Amino acid sequence: MSGGSGIPGSHRVPDLLAVAARWLLAAVFLYLGLGKALHPVEFLKLVRQYGVFEDPLLLNLVAAVLPWFEVICGLLLLAGVTVRGAVWLLVAMLIPFTALILLRALAIRELGALPFCAIKFDCGCGGGEVFICPKLFENAGLTILSVWLAFYPRQRLCLRPAIVASAVR
Amino acid sequence: MRAFGAVVVESLLIAAVGSALALAANALSPRGLRLSRNYFPNGERGAPSVPATATHSPAASAAAAFGSANPAAALLRRLEKHGLRAVTASEVIALYRDPQYEQGLMVFVDARDDAHFAAGHIPGAWQFNHYRAENYLPAVLPVCLIALKVVVYCTGGQCEDSEFAAVMLRDAGVPAENLFVYPGGITEWMTNNLPVEIGARRSGRFLSATP
Repeated sequence: MSGGSGIPGSHRVPDLLAVAARWLLAAVFLYLGLGKALHPVEFLKLVRQYGVFEDPLLLNLVAAVLPWFEVICGLLLLAGVTVRGAVWLLVAMLIPFTALILLRALAIRELGALPFCAIKFDCGCGGGEVFICPKLFENAGLTILSVWLAFYPRQRLCLRPAIVASAVR
Repeated sequence: MRAFGAVVVESLLIAAVGSALALAANALSPRGLRLSRNYFPNGERGAPSVPATATHSPAASAAAAFGSANPAAALLRRLEKHGLRAVTASEVIALYRDPQYEQGLMVFVDARDDAHFAAGHIPGAWQFNHYRAENYLPAVLPVCLIALKVVVYCTGGQCEDSEFAAVMLRDAGVPAENLFVYPGGITEWMTNNLPVEIGARRSGRFLSATP
């Protein structure tokens, strides 16, 4: 394990923050992923509402795989295994999903003539119905945290921060 | 640059292994989805079961929720396409009070999941969660085949499950002319202060005072 022993004093606080950020991301994705994985039919209905996947097989695949995939990424971050690979995958998921949520909210606003931040719907994110503005801030925060973690030079308290040797800087 | 390439390789590796594990988890989970099945047989996204919007305008909220300016018309159009019809609250109440209901010639089918069904359903209704059809069809199909009228309902409002369940019952052999969808669903039923049975079918336990 890449332990925290022998950390120079100047690195201690940022290193601990990086560990906390990793565990926070892990907790969020485990919680959201499990919530969907345990109720796949509900998630399937919500994914369908986005109208991105019309083909039943593709729709089922996304609804079946995505929640477990989030759980797996959460577990990797929790244990500290292939940290950078996992956080880049999270970024790759967060950005398009956030864009889809935003587009959906804009479509709802157009239909309902609502103030943007008054729009509330179940985006299929795993937390039930949410107001759009806090959700967008939350996703932006998670994305920024993931990117920061991806570029952070040291990974502490990790079982195996990288499985490809040159991924460790 | 080398480090970047290594991270990309790692990401791809996680994506591949993660997808395989995710598929395995879905296959092993008793709640997993059947990948080859079409769970939404009406072929169009009619009434998105999505947005409950925070608004002071019920009309705007409904329109936004249904993704259509006229959700009721859209529903009727979809039902017509499948050779099905909708019934109103007053028609449903009349069917419920018809003596033939107790004889099993009028049948109510609740298209919601176990938790919602147990929380409250039309007294005597059969449950048919079409997402897990294999668990319910053996019991509900013979009942529907001998009935003169079968009314399928779900939550009401944005819920589409009654439509899908009705289509599946039709495909399983229930004559389309006997099949009706109650768009108002259990929400409208409860709003009309009608009796609601809780727990299992014919549990004898009710939310309202009079069954």
